[in-house]
Parts: sequence; structure tokens; C-alpha cells
Amino acid sequence: MSLERLDRLDVDGALAEACDGLTRAGFIVAAGAALAGLAAARPAVAEAAIPRSDQDVLNYALVLEYLQAAFYTEAERANGLSGRPAKAARVVGAVERAHVKAFRELLGRKAVGRPHFDFQGVTESSKPFLKTAVAFEDLAVAAYKGQARLVRSKAVLASALGIHTVEARHAAWMRYLNGNTPAADAFDLPRNRREINGIVASTEFISDRPRSTSRRRPRYTG
Amino acid sequence: MPHHRVARAPDRDIQPGHTRRSGLRTTAVAAGGALAAVTAMGPADRLVAAPSAEQDVRVLNLLLLVEYVEVAFYEAALANAGLSGELEDFARAVLEHEREHLAYLEGALGAKADPEPRYDLADATSDADAFAESTARLEDAAVGAYNGQAANVTPGAFLAAARIVSVEARHAAWIRSIRNGDPAPDAVDKPYDEARARRELEAIGLAS
Repeated sequence: MSLERLDRLDVDGALAEACDGLTRAGFIVAAGAALAGLAAARPAVAEAAIPRSDQDVLNYALVLEYLQAAFYTEAERANGLSGRPAKAARVVGAVERAHVKAFRELLGRKAVGRPHFDFQGVTESSKPFLKTAVAFEDLAVAAYKGQARLVRSKAVLASALGIHTVEARHAAWMRYLNGNTPAADAFDLPRNRREINGIVASTEFISDRPRSTSRRRPRYTG
Repeated sequence: MPHHRVARAPDRDIQPGHTRRSGLRTTAVAAGGALAAVTAMGPADRLVAAPSAEQDVRVLNLLLLVEYVEVAFYEAALANAGLSGELEDFARAVLEHEREHLAYLEGALGAKADPEPRYDLADATSDADAFAESTARLEDAAVGAYNGQAANVTPGAFLAAARIVSVEARHAAWIRSIRNGDPAPDAVDKPYDEARARRELEAIGLAS
């Protein structure tokens, strides 16, 4: 395990893996800590190379990356998108999966498991897909910004910041495709964990059991 | 509009900091207060190595330089590049953001702010295509410069910069969306050190 791993993320490799992943069933594995992963991602034993508090931050970020990766991967598999939204889902999905992979490798056995997700059909057509993508990406930007000041390790900080601005690029891209202003304000504000957890919980996208066939409507308002 | 500085041509000499400071004073004072409040919030030992007030000044002046170039670039483009439609709307919206960033940093630096540099933005803003290409490079440079300095500053300056850098990233993706490019070509944005940041700014039109 190396702290440098995050800096060497290979998008092309991730894309190749993504294409391979499309043929595999069960990307969303039943192994998760569900929403508890967001609130209580606290490994019992600190890894030598990363301060314990940074592991906590990384696991928190990992859950958000699980959420995004699962969302885009499901959108790609559902095959209900076309044109530019389809391309965006493919490209952004590959990057989010690369983030998941990098965090998991960085954390090793301290990595929290993947929660169960139920996106309730929003991955199946462009309009709800884009609306949800905008919400997720803006949320990720605010979450990374909220966590960054807690990071102690310089290497972890550099990686987290480099991902933070990539999430901002994704947010702008999805906003553009959804007809929103890509940069609505001169300053982006951070959100703390309590706020982020509340927003994620309100979507009901993270479930405590493997995905069912139900199609509840999401309650969140992007 | 506090001022209409034109950065049109190399022979147009821009006086350092002439009208901007007075025009934006109210905003700057408010921003300085906000930065001071933010500084008081966090433990001073959070980050790395030895951030210091002196180092903050050096870093914030580099970021100020980025914002100076951005403001001058969008002003020059709106004056000279023949922008219309979506590109013009983009340039006007982003210019307002960059002006707010500039005022924020000027307020944070106060009397320690470096004077405004000189520019030669004629090539970068010669037409819509040159503008779009230069915009992507300039906004990437802004993202890289902010990310590259994050570990070198005290927590207060860090939080202030963090609120700006993601907006620069949004701009970078926005222009690429308009031009149907790839808005997010990398999985992790690379940090630029000071030398690289300056080279990129000079490539756009910062006079060296």
C-alpha cells in the first residue's frame, strides 16, 4: 500500500476495467455497512502510514465514492441514456470507480464495505439521471471541502484536493447537461458530515438490504 | 461596475492597482473579515510543515496573480474576442466570479497585496476559438495553482482558497462543455508548483 497510489490513478486503466465491469453481474455487492458507514466509519486499528483520523476521513470519502460509482455504473447498465448524458455517465462512472479502487487500496483491510444501493429507477432515463447526478456531484464537492481541513497527512491531502476539483468538474458538466448554470456562485461552501449524512439519508438511495424490486419515488429535491 | 480596465494590447500600459482597490473596498473589507473569522476557527497545527503568516502572504499573492490574470483575460475577451451567445454569457458570468475572488484575496492581503501585473492578452483573446482554448488552459492553471499551494498555508487561508478552487474547476469544465470537449479528463487534478503556475499564466498573457 502506498500513499502515492492516489496520485497515479490511471483513467485509461479505469476505463478498461469499467468496460470489463459492464459484463459482470453484481457490481453492487451485498456487503455493506449501509448508512452507518457514513456516520461511523472508524477503523479499529490504525494503519502505520496513515494517521487514524485520516483513515476516518478516507472511509467517509469512500462511502460517497461507492454511492457515485454505483449510480453511474447502474445508469450505464440500465442503458436508458443516449448522446451526451450517456457519454458523461460512462466517463464519470469510470473515474468514480477509479476513486473507489484507489481509496480501497489505500485503506487496505481498514476500508469500509460497500453499502447496498437502491436508486429507485432514477438511473433509467436522462432527466432523473441528470438531476440526481447534479445533486450527487455538488454534494461531493461540499463534502470533500468540509473534510479537507481535517486531513493531517500531506499526501492524503494532496490526493483529496485533486479529487475535490475533479468532483467540481463533474458537477459543472452534469449541471450543463441538465440545463443548470455550471458555476452558480463565486464561492463554493463546505458542508459538514451531519449535513451530508442528512441529505444522503433523505434520498433513501442507501438501503439496509440488497436491492429489491420496489420503485419508491426518491424524496430528495436535488 | 467598479472599473473598466482594458487589457487589449501590449502597448496598453496598466497602472498597478489604480481604481480597483477603491472600487472594491467594501467587498474587500468584508472578505478580509470573513477570512479572519475563518482563521480563528481551526487548530493552527492541522496541516503540514511550517505554514506561517509570512508564507501565507507569498501564497496568497500567487493566487492573487492568478485572479488578476483571469479578470484581465475575461475583460479583454469581452472587449476584443467578438464573443456572442453562449460564450459571451459564459465570459460575463465567470468574469464576475473572478472579480469576487480578486476582491477576496485583496481583502485578505490588505497592504501586503502585490501590485497588479502587466499583460499581453492579444493572442489569447483574438477570437472566439482562441478565447475558448485559452480559457480551458487558464482555468486549469488556476485549479493547479490553488491545489499546489494548499498544503503550504495556514488553516484559515486554506479554507478561503478551498472555497475558490472548486469554482475554478467548474469554470474549466463549463468551457469544455460549451465546446463539447472532455470536461474532466483526469481522475485526479494535478497540483502545479509556483514555477509551473507562472509559466502557464505567461503562456496566456501575463507579461514576464
